Amino acid sequence: MTLLEVDNLRVTFPSDQGPVEVVRGLSFALGRERLGIVGESGSGKSMTGRAIMGLIGAPGQVTADRMAFEGRDLRNLPEREFRKLRGARMSMVLQDPKFSLNPVIRIGDQIAEALEFHTRLSARARRARVLEALEAVRIDDPERVARLYPHEVSGGMGQRVMIAMMVVMEPALMIADEPTSALDVSVRGQVLDIMDDLVRRRGMGLLLISHDLNMVARWCDRILVMYRGQIVEELGAGALHAAQHPYTRGLLASLPRLNEDRATLPVLDRAALDGFMAGGDR
Amino acid sequence: MIAVQNLSVRYGDTTVLHGVSLAVARGESFALVGESGSGKSTILKALAGQVADWQGQMRLAGQDLQPGRKAHLARQVQMVFQDPYGSLHPRRSVDDTLAEPLAIHGIKGRDARVLAMLDAVGLPRRFRFRLPHQLSGGQRQRVAIARALMLEPPVLLLDEPTSALDVSVQAEILNLLKGLREEKGLTFLLVTHDLPVVSFLCDRLAVLRAGRVEETAEVATLRAAGLQSAYGRELLERSGLV
Repeated sequence: MTLLEVDNLRVTFPSDQGPVEVVRGLSFALGRERLGIVGESGSGKSMTGRAIMGLIGAPGQVTADRMAFEGRDLRNLPEREFRKLRGARMSMVLQDPKFSLNPVIRIGDQIAEALEFHTRLSARARRARVLEALEAVRIDDPERVARLYPHEVSGGMGQRVMIAMMVVMEPALMIADEPTSALDVSVRGQVLDIMDDLVRRRGMGLLLISHDLNMVARWCDRILVMYRGQIVEELGAGALHAAQHPYTRGLLASLPRLNEDRATLPVLDRAALDGFMAGGDR
Repeated sequence: MIAVQNLSVRYGDTTVLHGVSLAVARGESFALVGESGSGKSTILKALAGQVADWQGQMRLAGQDLQPGRKAHLARQVQMVFQDPYGSLHPRRSVDDTLAEPLAIHGIKGRDARVLAMLDAVGLPRRFRFRLPHQLSGGQRQRVAIARALMLEPPVLLLDEPTSALDVSVQAEILNLLKGLREEKGLTFLLVTHDLPVVSFLCDRLAVLRAGRVEETAEVATLRAAGLQSAYGRELLERSGLV
């Protein structure tokens, strides 16, 4: 079943030099699968995630020919209605738990906030759900962790808490914006495992936004490569090295390898690339 | 060029380095890999004179280091930090940033030196009077590298110099660092968790865990995925490269 349909999504911000389009006509559909969006800073990948969550405020402008979540039109959805969706049916995991968790609220209470807002559960039932969510992200000692403040846990633990916060309402769609880039390599695997497990067991749709080509290629069913607000290429899992677009190929070539023997790394030729984009699209 | 013998560092009751020893030859590029908390950045800080209290011996460019910060150390060793957004003064122009070390150390020929350094790190001269927010991440990291090189130190300490950058920009900065090292005969001590970066930029590496050196290896061993220590293997696997 298609969970999310986006057709011709555009995000525009005003600037001194006139309006700047940061997402330029993006179209894709997401089912109960893991879809990766990769691109560099400024490619519009985070803005895409935010636009879907309805998190782009004025003066930013979001337009689309179609943007539907579970068959429901998200365009011009009143903020009241959007708040019922956010945190309940669709959730977002952000990059850095240090900045995204409230430092003065205990972890258990922060996770319970979504339940308090969206459900009429009793305090006792909420508590049980919080502990369950912490267990689902493989925290062995949920009772203790629920009582801690964010500064008392490590980065990896903090990110698991964020994911627990997202899954406590069992959303249908999870948007993860660079969920592992603030984490150590050794912890990254665990966090990705947990998200993977949630997608498989609960049938969630996952939109994974990252700049890390190899990571996305390993973890997602499909990959969209974004450059300057547009999708330049769509690739299947494991087909990363069959990439055709010069941007994707350029990015891949510029990554150092473990058995590196090149004296210099090839650098992206942006001028040639923009020429190619202009010739290919218009 | 760098000799560390039995270095121990304690913060309060916590020992973060337990008798670490390593030696880096002149002109060599040496990597420290390990996860956060393994003590790799503490070694850099100790060498840069930013750790007030440590035990053991450290020699740098033929001089014995003493605990405490010494001004002349700045002529021997400089550091480039991870985040170019955080390591440059937001209200000082590139020119101010590059000229400050010259003023502190009473070095003449400010104009010529600043311009030469902009050329060396591949920044167009017209960027000289810009502020950090007018530069991209890669350009800022070039400024940070230029600043570190203004006093012409023989040793550069690099603390994850490319992990905050996009991959295509990372390639530019790695190429720049490699070129500068060859040109100026610099010695690098690089902290990273990215094994392919080590493979590109370094000659040898040490794997750290919990404040101890677990393994020292040639980069050829890394390229053949032949790290022996348990943690070295784990890093290879986690990097998805085995």
